[in-house]
Amino acid sequence: MKQWWLRPAVRIGAALLLPVVVPATITIMLWALPGDPVSIICPEELCTGGGALAAKWNLDQGPLHFYVQWLRAAAGGDFGATWRWQAGTPIAGLMAESTPTTLALLGFALISVAIGTVVGASQRLPAKVLAVAQVAGLVPGIVLALVGAAWVELTYGAASFVGPAVWARLLTGAAVIGLADGALSGAIGGTDGLFRAESRQRYVGIAILRGERVLGNTLPNVTPALAGQLRARTLHLLSGAVVVEAVVGIDGLGDLLLRGALYQDFGLVLASATAFALFSSVLLLGQALVEVATAVLVRRSPAGVMEGA
Amino acid sequence: MKPRLPAALLAGLCLVLLLVAALVAPEHLPDKAPDLKWAGPADVPPFGADDGGRSLLHYATQGARVVAVPSIVAGMVVAAFATLGGVLRAMGVGWFDRVLQAGGEVVGALPRMVVILVVALVTPDEWRGLLPLAVTWALLSAPGAMDEAAAVAERLGGARFVEALRAHGYSASRVYLYHIVALNLRPVVVRQAAEVMMQVVFLEIGLSYIAEEENQTDFTHPANLKSWANLLKLGYASLVVDVPSGHALGLGLGLIGVVAVMGLALGRAVRSR
Repeated sequence: MKQWWLRPAVRIGAALLLPVVVPATITIMLWALPGDPVSIICPEELCTGGGALAAKWNLDQGPLHFYVQWLRAAAGGDFGATWRWQAGTPIAGLMAESTPTTLALLGFALISVAIGTVVGASQRLPAKVLAVAQVAGLVPGIVLALVGAAWVELTYGAASFVGPAVWARLLTGAAVIGLADGALSGAIGGTDGLFRAESRQRYVGIAILRGERVLGNTLPNVTPALAGQLRARTLHLLSGAVVVEAVVGIDGLGDLLLRGALYQDFGLVLASATAFALFSSVLLLGQALVEVATAVLVRRSPAGVMEGA
Repeated sequence: MKPRLPAALLAGLCLVLLLVAALVAPEHLPDKAPDLKWAGPADVPPFGADDGGRSLLHYATQGARVVAVPSIVAGMVVAAFATLGGVLRAMGVGWFDRVLQAGGEVVGALPRMVVILVVALVTPDEWRGLLPLAVTWALLSAPGAMDEAAAVAERLGGARFVEALRAHGYSASRVYLYHIVALNLRPVVVRQAAEVMMQVVFLEIGLSYIAEEENQTDFTHPANLKSWANLLKLGYASLVVDVPSGHALGLGLGLIGVVAVMGLALGRAVRSR
């Protein structure tokens, strides 16, 4: 591509917009639903004082006012309070507890993806082993999560949420999302395919004739695609974490989002979906940075391509 | 027998099983029969009974009814998008790549489950069910499927392939429908559709299981129907406490296995020669 900066620029733009667009979309949808948003917090048949609540939560002056006020408060770290699930609990506190847990879960699960990526890049995995990994990857996350939850419950007890049980839940959850729904097999297969396709390029053949290593030549050129795959796999893990956290009993951000959706708690969903949007933005920025670095350090320097890495 | 025929037969059999089960599913579970509580398959054939003595066959058929139509619709949506992606690449439409890339970036920027939960939350009560979620899942999967189908068309030679066949005197409809879609895009399109069908079933089971655990209204089906997740929930008790519900767990896992086999077999049946 001649305009190498276009893709990273689009990604950076998307990364900047995402945390703003996601709450805007949810706000629009909240007002698009039949009935008044106030009636969601305070159904007329169940409670009185809806007007006061509407004023308190900025729901009385239309979607734009609500959105601007929410965004301003969120920028200052105040995500409001839950509407229906544990009504009135400050969401910032819930998120402060759950975000590190989800990050730790994601970090442990990424070990599986990292191993898969290294194995795939080595291209030394026999096709039969890859086929077995692909079949194992068909096992849905919910099934593995149930097995993991049963193991934790039998080992530590159903109500064990302190000490080693917390770590057991976290590591079990990480193992589940790192293996289920094709996470590991996808990492192996995807990376293997990427390197295999690049190795067939003519310049690699020439490099081999010159006595150079294949990986040293292919790696700089596949790095942007590898970063793209890694972002997609991280999103896949985050997606899986939502269900796994709830089943295995991990107090993470996905669990918060799920509870918000189950209890129709728009306040909670708004905050947790925005947090996920922020995660996604960071990933987009990371991919854009890799693309920029590759373009500047490698593609503009023929020496970098032929002798780099 | 051609090597692909057994896989096609197996996939067809699983699909027919799913559809027949969905068709014969009762509107409500029968009344409880406490005498048959946790009865095994020998006493209440073919799968045994739940804690209320009701046959697990009803759970299996009602669960099939919950997932059958939405998963097939989702598969068809993805197949349609993938076909479109392949055909547009073969036509050499210049702007298509840019639109596909931008669409993929936008659609794939967020974790899918986050989008699904937001959609579940904002779906009006009268539209609630698995279908809107399944279609959303299919739309989220579509850019990836289109990209893969477009890559297949690219490997064929894209617009030059079409030009060459047209030069041989083939009509445009024959080139696109037979040579491109039926002969070359078919493996990708059908495999993508089968994968999405499978994912929608697993999505339903995951969401229903959690709703059941939290005693909340289900996103995916009305209260009178039971999901396959209910079988897993019943059977889970046999793993952690002394409840003889292992047959429910076995049935739940077996049904998940049938769906997985159907997806795999469908993909294998349409492999290119």
